Amino acid sequence: MGIALQLLFTGLGVGSIYALVALGFVLIYRATNVVNFAQGDFAMLGAFSMVVLCIDLGWPYWLGIVLTIITMALFGALFNLGVYYPLRHRTFLPVIISTIGASILLENGVLAAYGPRPQSLPGVFASQGFSIGPVFFDSQYLTILAVTVFGVALQYLFFERTLLGKKLQAVSQDKEMASLLGIPVAFMIALTFVYSATLGGLAGILVAPILFVSVQMGASIALKAFAASIIGGFGDVTGAIVGGLALGVIETFGAAYISVPYKDGFAFLVLFVFLLIRPQGIFGERVAEKA
Amino acid sequence: MRFRTLALVFAAASSVLTPLTSTAADPLKIGMVAPLTGPGAESGRFQMNGAKLAVEQINKSGGVLGRPLELVVEDDQTTNPGAVLAFSRLAGDASIPAFVGSIRSTQVHAMAPDILKTGKPVMIGGTDPQLTKLGNPWLFRFRPNDSYSARVIADFGVNVLKLKKWAIVHSTDAFGTNGMKNLTEALQKLGATTVLTQGYTNNSQDFTPVALAVKQSGAEVMGTYMTFEPDQGIFAKQLRQLGVTISWVGSPTTVTTTALKLAGPALYGSYAVVDFNRDSSPAAKAFAALYETTYKSTPDVFSSWTYDAMTVLARAINTAKSVEPEAIRKAILATRDFAGAEGTFNFDQNGDGLHGYNIVRNDNGTIVFDKHVEFRD
Repeated sequence: MGIALQLLFTGLGVGSIYALVALGFVLIYRATNVVNFAQGDFAMLGAFSMVVLCIDLGWPYWLGIVLTIITMALFGALFNLGVYYPLRHRTFLPVIISTIGASILLENGVLAAYGPRPQSLPGVFASQGFSIGPVFFDSQYLTILAVTVFGVALQYLFFERTLLGKKLQAVSQDKEMASLLGIPVAFMIALTFVYSATLGGLAGILVAPILFVSVQMGASIALKAFAASIIGGFGDVTGAIVGGLALGVIETFGAAYISVPYKDGFAFLVLFVFLLIRPQGIFGERVAEKA
Repeated sequence: MRFRTLALVFAAASSVLTPLTSTAADPLKIGMVAPLTGPGAESGRFQMNGAKLAVEQINKSGGVLGRPLELVVEDDQTTNPGAVLAFSRLAGDASIPAFVGSIRSTQVHAMAPDILKTGKPVMIGGTDPQLTKLGNPWLFRFRPNDSYSARVIADFGVNVLKLKKWAIVHSTDAFGTNGMKNLTEALQKLGATTVLTQGYTNNSQDFTPVALAVKQSGAEVMGTYMTFEPDQGIFAKQLRQLGVTISWVGSPTTVTTTALKLAGPALYGSYAVVDFNRDSSPAAKAFAALYETTYKSTPDVFSSWTYDAMTVLARAINTAKSVEPEAIRKAILATRDFAGAEGTFNFDQNGDGLHGYNIVRNDNGTIVFDKHVEFRD
């Protein structure tokens, strides 16, 4: 029982990391109909920014977080201008390739600038965590879970209760119609990139104390997050969260009770089953081809 | 138009003729396959530093056959296809008589067929014992192979720590799987029992299931073959969080500079086998001092093996007085009692240069030399 609870806690913790990154995927997909393959690298950049600010420069942790979030927001705008905007009238393929190119550039750019040595970053709390009975609660996983829940609630309120959120939704549903209604489409998309980059950066800040900070940290999370968003229903915010958490729990339990080396296999087996039986995912709606 | 054709012909001819017209002072190129990008990029820098340091020393003392050495490095991207590609690019340059790399067994396996075709000596650091038993005469190993590391881990745990119930945790790549097999075998011979054998894939984000398995197994001591430092760090931390405090004797990754930094206190008190330790011999001490003055950082196993490989290779070419592959091969195999940073080199007919390991202890973050174990068989 204690072991199952421990696995459940860890699974949810790992799953919420996937969920945070999956959210970024989904938002950009909704706004642009394109999968941003550099989403994982946003997390990597956020984590490196924290290392530079808090470890190398020795600035306080809270200031590091604030500055990292600001930096990531600016970076999102820059990313939109450089990677998406010039190709916005093209089909989805050139844009996808452009994001793959950006991902390679970012990883190797950081490698060239910072070097290959993995770095460690302390957690938000000084304590590593606490035990209740046989279960150890890692303080960083708790933080990630809390931030994910809080972030999702905030996002729901923003998209459903504010005019700006509704405008963003309109753009993601039908760009031409939105444009006819006087919504500045390009600006809204830029805003989505800013938000996604910030979210990615936040994910990076949160996972850095657990996974350490390395150039390829983003890529491995992004792959799982991508699978999570498909399982949840690509383009669906709730789906990304549920898919991410489910994936974390499934692979942790699968590793513990069936086989550790096939851990990644379970995640992709679930993905495979979904693609075969329910390609629209848990929350996705079957989309008919537009007339 | 005619001028351009003429120029092209001239350029082609001159490039063909260059090797014939090379003078004695032309540098002698040595190819190196190293991970400059990808998950192993960290180790790649150490490997380059070690090799460069050796080249500087060799060139200071007159070079090889009167020519200065020049290192030509190709990136293997820490992947097997990358390593094969990097090697074939280097092998395409006919003026390179010998090569260095890789330290990853899986990559050496991948490159081995091309190495056999190329027919030139390659200095390797991969520790899978099979590598020198492939019937490939061109592989020369500059680190003790895993059959020795496993024997030393088992011997130390069973005979010195007096612990008989073992858990083995290993990466599922070639290095980890072979390490696990050798350790299982060595433990069997010593009459110890293995209560848990647990593999994991590289770059795992979470080790809770592995840590729980170790906890439940009731093992008194754990032997590990882990490939990448971040994996080692995450595992060590989660192991301690779940209250597992059994003795730990690990493979060399356990005490690399990066592993110590990432895992911090989680690795305190653990033991490891290492091929390089600065306190193990005067030659190791001298190398460490030289490395520190040059690079202002502490060397580890990744830099010592390339340093020794370059030094022994240069020595062999000088002894052979030739850059013919067969002559170099014979000269390397004839190397006896050469004191390198890694240990004393005595090549056997398989191409294995070293036959022992050091045991070290992590004493609150400082690596302390415990003892050297040398095997004669």
